[in-house]
Amino acid sequence: MAIATSTFKHTSLDFVQTALRMLPWPTEAGLRKIGNPGQESPVLITCNYDLTVRRLTRAMQGHDAWLLVAPSSGINVWCAASGGHLSTHQVVSALKTSGIKEKVSHKRAILPQLAATGVIGREVARRCGWKVRFGPVRAEDIPAYLAAGGHKSEEMRRVRFDTRERMEMAAAWGFPTAAVIALLFYFIKASWAAPLALWSIVCAFALFLFYDRLGEPRKLRFAAATALTACIATALVGGGAAALAAAAVSSLLLTALLTVDYPGSTPLEGGAHFAENAWQVKLDPALCDGVFACWEVCPESCFNKLEDPRKVEISHGERCIRCGACVVQCPKDALFFEDQAGQRIEPDIIRRFKLNLMGSRSVEA
Amino acid sequence: MSSLALMRWLESAPERYDRGMQWLTFGRADEIREAIAGEAVKAGTRVVEIGCGTGALSAKLLANGCEVTAVDQNPAMLEQARSALASASAGKIRWIEASAAEIDSLGDGVFDAVATAFCLSEMSPGERAYVLRAAARCLRPGGRLLIADEVVPDQRVQKLVHALLRGPQVLLGWLLTGAVSTPLAGLAAEIEAAGFRIVGNRGWLAGRFRLFIAESKGEAPA
Repeated sequence: MAIATSTFKHTSLDFVQTALRMLPWPTEAGLRKIGNPGQESPVLITCNYDLTVRRLTRAMQGHDAWLLVAPSSGINVWCAASGGHLSTHQVVSALKTSGIKEKVSHKRAILPQLAATGVIGREVARRCGWKVRFGPVRAEDIPAYLAAGGHKSEEMRRVRFDTRERMEMAAAWGFPTAAVIALLFYFIKASWAAPLALWSIVCAFALFLFYDRLGEPRKLRFAAATALTACIATALVGGGAAALAAAAVSSLLLTALLTVDYPGSTPLEGGAHFAENAWQVKLDPALCDGVFACWEVCPESCFNKLEDPRKVEISHGERCIRCGACVVQCPKDALFFEDQAGQRIEPDIIRRFKLNLMGSRSVEA
Repeated sequence: MSSLALMRWLESAPERYDRGMQWLTFGRADEIREAIAGEAVKAGTRVVEIGCGTGALSAKLLANGCEVTAVDQNPAMLEQARSALASASAGKIRWIEASAAEIDSLGDGVFDAVATAFCLSEMSPGERAYVLRAAARCLRPGGRLLIADEVVPDQRVQKLVHALLRGPQVLLGWLLTGAVSTPLAGLAAEIEAAGFRIVGNRGWLAGRFRLFIAESKGEAPA
């Protein structure tokens, strides 16, 4: 009974927090135990976003570890790190103030890989003596990562955007959009509120599941498909000419709204679709001396290690989502952003002002 | 459009923070900072400010003739503060990009006052305890701790109103400032536990904002 209740609680919380994941869901920062950790147990650091903390705890069931929840304003790891809410300072603060120093005999901690857009590993070491490493992207890979002695497979390093992740992003965009539309139409034309809200959820799911898989002209194709579907659905439930026109127009508007620009909503944002506005990550091979920090944190495996001489090359630049993690982590400043006009944005600006797909888009000189 | 709004929210935007704080305190934020600066002057001249943000309190401390060490973990906010106070600050202020926990590296007994406004309520209890102990260490004996923050009111009716407003307030606070704050319940006890003696306090907005003035006993607990 207790297990059933707890499962129900977790499932319903998962649902609510996924639908409303645009909002912060803060949980208390500080040190927690997973299982029965001792002096040698690994120290895992994460954000204070409730959904993440609960998922991580579930993924680690049956293992012993210290979980250090760093204050990230209740925002998830990738967004917080990229937007300036989970930086070196929050991690240093958590390591210093949580009392973890007294609990373990080592000074090694594992951060989620996606924190690499905001947390500078070597800075953490300089400020408080802890050596942090970037573990896998996903919490569920942590047990395998620990079992492999901290070896991260290609699979663990990649952000996959599989169907489940796409559905989550769709829910995160679809439900708030539906709520706003329902509220708006409740006052304009109440009978339209529910169907339009439902329709916006359907569109959001269609968008995240199929949009980036459509051929060009993508926006036009998507708009036509949604408008056609809306018209067919309206006709099937016996709508007249006015309802058909409304269905078509609302679908076009909705498509326009849903496809503007998606800061952080990968896979839609940052890929090839918005390339004309975006910066490119460039490598200065002369400065690279094969630290491979970029290779370690790139969520799209854009880099290739070369052995002689020991350097990296950008082998899959077309996959880059401009998260900036590589630029932030490179100790040699060999990586930087370059805009379309060929102007270079120095790595330090990226580090301090979070110029990336999620954070600021521009910084005043 | 929706995405632009979201981007603004998630960005740690300095302008938004200032405007939001002003709204959340019904315009009192400045008055509260004025009170802190006044108390800091009485304590002496060397002040460390924790969480200086865009420099609103730093400016008042400088105007009152203090030498300020301003600490903040947000580089964008610091940059704004630095440029806003560039002319007023010549040699009188030092900016440090660090978390509040790192004030323990500034030296022992080197300040006359530690000042902080609307910052502790954004910390976890563990962070707060650490920072308060570090504050005690960096103050000279008899140095003053000046904390103004959002607190849970003491009186029953005010407490009830507070409980009812809590949810919407968190949301509003986040939308306006981008920060999630928790009104502090046992701040006086936390201050005393860190080795201070409270010598005065002042409230604003029916006790929802309070300034505590405390004196270092000069014997910070380990």
